[in-house]
Amino acid sequence: MEFTALLLAVTVVMLVAWRGSRTLALALFAATLAASVVTYLHHATDVLKLSF
Amino acid sequence: MTRSLAVTLNALGLYGIALVLTAAFAAQLWLGELPCPLCLLQRFAFALLAIGPILNVRFGPRPSHYALSLLAAAVGATVATRQILLHVMPGDPGFGSALLGYHYYTWAFIGFVAAIILIAAILLFDRQFTDEETKPMPVGAFAQVAVWLVIGLTALNVVSTLLECGFGACPDNPVEYELLKRAR
Repeated sequence: MEFTALLLAVTVVMLVAWRGSRTLALALFAATLAASVVTYLHHATDVLKLSF
Repeated sequence: MTRSLAVTLNALGLYGIALVLTAAFAAQLWLGELPCPLCLLQRFAFALLAIGPILNVRFGPRPSHYALSLLAAAVGATVATRQILLHVMPGDPGFGSALLGYHYYTWAFIGFVAAIILIAAILLFDRQFTDEETKPMPVGAFAQVAVWLVIGLTALNVVSTLLECGFGACPDNPVEYELLKRAR
């Protein structure tokens, strides 16, 4: 569900960037980027099978 | 580099992003390979990469617009690196099928790094930034089609992801569309 929400959010940011205010687009971009980082950290829990 | 050439290059960048999103859809629909959570995040990062060029096309090239794309490419490269490392051990077959010897996440990593290099190269040309105003400017058909193409493909990804994951968490290794399964 979170990925659907993220993709919906980026679609909205694109539409705002194309048709709306530049400042709002920049603010929404920042919020969407932050949400994607949080989602990534939430999912990146598997231990990497690496040895150095 | 003139302002109009920079806008044309940004429109070309949007066509490049549209090509990547289309290729991902092609693999999903024709090969039946549903995207995993990290794959979806990489698609998202490609879509996020398009915001900078859209702003450049509409308001004219600004360093801040390029910065947005650099941030998006950095996030995308991080996610792709994570997925490469998950399958880096000898004997691991990787996730999904390979294209020209590389899996999609490896191609995604190459794509994000290429985007960073191309954006850095285009930032070298100061003359595109001579106009300090950031007001909307007339946009040609070539750029308009590029923008709507990327927006349309991203909207299709919203529908596809909703069908795949439904209203719950996306499975790590999806094999069927969750929402369609429930409808049956």
